[in-house]
Amino acid sequence: MNDPGADIHALEHHEFLERVHSFEFWFQAVEGYLAGTTYGHRPETAESPMSEAERDRLVGVLCTYCVGETAALEGASGLIPIAPDRLAKIFLATQVADEGRHLEVLQHRMRRLGVTDVDGEVTRRASRSLVAFRVRLQGLVEARDWEAALLAQNVILESLEFAVFHHHAQRADAVTAEILGGIIKDERRHMGFGENVLGRRLVDAPHTRRRLQPIKRELDHLMLDTIEHTAGAIGVPLADRARLGRAYLESAARLGFLG
Amino acid sequence: MTDPRERGDDEAREGPRQRFVLDDRGFDEVPPKYRRFYRRWQGAEDSLAPNEVICPVCKVVIRSTRELRPGDRVYCMPCMSRLVVVRADDGRLEARVAY
Repeated sequence: MNDPGADIHALEHHEFLERVHSFEFWFQAVEGYLAGTTYGHRPETAESPMSEAERDRLVGVLCTYCVGETAALEGASGLIPIAPDRLAKIFLATQVADEGRHLEVLQHRMRRLGVTDVDGEVTRRASRSLVAFRVRLQGLVEARDWEAALLAQNVILESLEFAVFHHHAQRADAVTAEILGGIIKDERRHMGFGENVLGRRLVDAPHTRRRLQPIKRELDHLMLDTIEHTAGAIGVPLADRARLGRAYLESAARLGFLG
Repeated sequence: MTDPRERGDDEAREGPRQRFVLDDRGFDEVPPKYRRFYRRWQGAEDSLAPNEVICPVCKVVIRSTRELRPGDRVYCMPCMSRLVVVRADDGRLEARVAY
């Protein structure tokens, strides 16, 4: 092998973190799946036939997704000043770009589906629980509570989005599925960052877990309500809704949080 | 953490490891030179080779140039996790996050 750095598993941990938290990594990663797309999908992808009821249901779901992406956009940008080190600040800067893109492509999709007042539609139809989550997350950021805000945003919110978008993409129309597919690839980085950075913090300061536990419980209720609000509209059978909820709770469990 | 690549004890006990030439399976979420180290899980019909484990965080299949054994360290670049290979109760290899 000509480049000894090319065997990713041979890197020292600090070298690995330097690489994956860099803009250089981010550029090359997103280029792999976004090059050639327009507003998150290939221009040649044809619209699937959709009844008026299906269109309206999709618009309602996208309204909730827009609130989630707005919360993450505001949260990620607000976390940069309180992030404890250079690598976290640089990673969060890449996340801000991702979240801004997500919001833009989802709003563009809504316009393509015939919505003229996107912001008004989002205000009217988005999950109230997710709106409350956004307010709570902003409060944690404004309080400069790095661990709690990271838990809320990059563990709980990102894991929920990863699970819900993955489920939805498997059943969505072709254009929406491609848009969600690109977002899911970004979410992998965001939730991985949250779990690993918080995990390292909890190793160093295990007492922090006790402080975060009630915040996690409070946010769980909002997230599970959001799943209920969204699940029916994206065709999740009742039997699968608990599994969807568990998917995001797995990250919290690995970090040692109780149910 | 000691890099298990530097250890020789498992080689003596379990014999030399199989080596694998990794091909690009179209995993497009990491820079091109790292793509061969990852692939997507294909569902119920899929199975893991001796040089593969699933990332518990993001469910991507992580691949190595060598047969994996308990104690090995691997990285999931798509979700930025450091993982350690362990032997599960059912005898299969799985990866655990090492924060």
